Amino acid sequence: METSFLQVCGISYAWGSRSEDDAKNRKIALDEVSFELAKGEIVVLLGPNGSGKSTLMKVISGILPLVRADGASGSMRYLGQNLTSIPQLRRAQLIAYIGSDLRAQFPMSAEDTVFLGRTCQKFGFLRRVSEEDIRTVKWAMELCFCWDLRERNLETLSGGERQLVALACGLAQGARILLLDETLSKMDINHQAAVGKVLKGLARDGYTILLVSHDLNVASEWAERAILLKSGRKVAEGSIHEMVSEEKLRLLYPNTGVVIGRNPVTGAPKVFFDR
Amino acid sequence: MEKIRVSKLVTTFGFGAAAWVVTAVIALSWGAVNDPSFEVIRQVRLPRAILASAIGVGLSVAGAALQALFANPLCEPYTLGISSGAGLGAVLGISFGFQWMVAGLTGTAFLGAIVFSVVLYLISLKAKGGNTTLLLAGVMLGFLGSSLVTLWISLSDSNGVQNAMNWLFGDLSRARLGGSLFTVAGVLSLTALLWGEWRNLDGLLMGEEGAAALGVDVRQVRRKVIVLVSLLIGLCVSAGGMIGFIGLVVPHFSRRMIGSLHLRLIPLCAIWGAATLTLADCLARVVVRPYELPVGVVTALIGAPVFLWIMLKRQERES
Repeated sequence: METSFLQVCGISYAWGSRSEDDAKNRKIALDEVSFELAKGEIVVLLGPNGSGKSTLMKVISGILPLVRADGASGSMRYLGQNLTSIPQLRRAQLIAYIGSDLRAQFPMSAEDTVFLGRTCQKFGFLRRVSEEDIRTVKWAMELCFCWDLRERNLETLSGGERQLVALACGLAQGARILLLDETLSKMDINHQAAVGKVLKGLARDGYTILLVSHDLNVASEWAERAILLKSGRKVAEGSIHEMVSEEKLRLLYPNTGVVIGRNPVTGAPKVFFDR
Repeated sequence: MEKIRVSKLVTTFGFGAAAWVVTAVIALSWGAVNDPSFEVIRQVRLPRAILASAIGVGLSVAGAALQALFANPLCEPYTLGISSGAGLGAVLGISFGFQWMVAGLTGTAFLGAIVFSVVLYLISLKAKGGNTTLLLAGVMLGFLGSSLVTLWISLSDSNGVQNAMNWLFGDLSRARLGGSLFTVAGVLSLTALLWGEWRNLDGLLMGEEGAAALGVDVRQVRRKVIVLVSLLIGLCVSAGGMIGFIGLVVPHFSRRMIGSLHLRLIPLCAIWGAATLTLADCLARVVVRPYELPVGVVTALIGAPVFLWIMLKRQERES
């Protein structure tokens, strides 16, 4: 592993009541989670529903601020620099969080939506639109196979198409760390494969990608490492071949028997239900 | 953001500017007297057309900003009751002896507007995701403010009910040239300040979490927008009473013309807002000649059906 690029140390986070005694209304979402990401790697977060994967991503991106009074603690470092002390605008230039769906309350063209990704970038007089903004939006949309959709209204796009636009919007931010929260879930197999290749290419160019996917077979195809979360705790971490194994998956999903096979072409581990 | 085509610029901004010029000419030449003297035009119709334009700009821009703030296309100064708050502040200000040309009155109207806006904002934090709750709360605040206005004026004024009606439905007949120009200056500078926030307002369109992910400091932007919008509404209401639905109709149709990004939306709302309210005021003056309708009646007659239409269309889309 190279120098630690993004370092997450002992992150805890709780939803609901602020008091630790009020256990009924309090849900511990994350409990002392620590890990490191190296530059240029693709890592997947695996875990059952409610294991804290999305919360973790939102904490890293700064959407959920780590305020100690709310029962949150821990620290995050980017190249040794404390992330929590970086203002949100600067943080969005470093880290892009891309959700599973993109919804706007107002009519928006796909291109205008991707343009929103440029919100965090620096501006000149009156925060005007620069040539670089326009170039980056075009680059991101072409990379994510949605340039042809640019004039379509967001509402008229299908779920998978909206996810392509969401991905382009995140790329347009110019961040080198991408957090993909179920962003590939509604894409057809064609786009999943194509986007996976794009992600691989981005990783080679030095992007660091952390993704959440309930589809273990998609995750295992593209990720090199996996981090296993259960009930807000990290239970294991290692290469994708070690983690996508019958023994480790039993930790996460004790009631479901699975059998592990291999993709005959790429050799990636694949998960099958047993009887 | 695509390089916007010249043809689109002409059909949206150019058409809007032309519409405003035409309505302004109509407003100057049409009125209670068929053959007006130059003095009538200069002292009565000109200030009124200027005031109508300024308030049209102010309410439309405030509506667009509120819609981004609460991520809800049905929000606007009147439906959220913020206009009533401003009206209440203004009426209390008058009865305690502030004159309307003095900035002091705008001050009390601003206080009323900001108190109501902050209450709404707190409600929106409590009612997470519940947009209907927010709107209902706004309507109730509006009733509360309007009733208090009526009560206060009726208690303190012999022509109480008539005067209250002027506040509740908008009345531009008090326009004087000096005061109108003061309103224009205020509205334009506040509009410019809100326009400067266009990147942040765009971010808010993606909802609270989406905006934070895009790097928007949501709390700070909300605070700033609430103050600017309250100033704008306070200014408009103290100059012309509570005029509803301009802030709903104009941003809605402007969005359909040019999209939702505020860099283009705010100026377009300003132009069409000026044209729309000038025309509405003109209609209010001549429809029941020789009497006058309050301008708010005209805007409500057009705006309320549009409100229902947008609401039904949204529900259709969500189901």
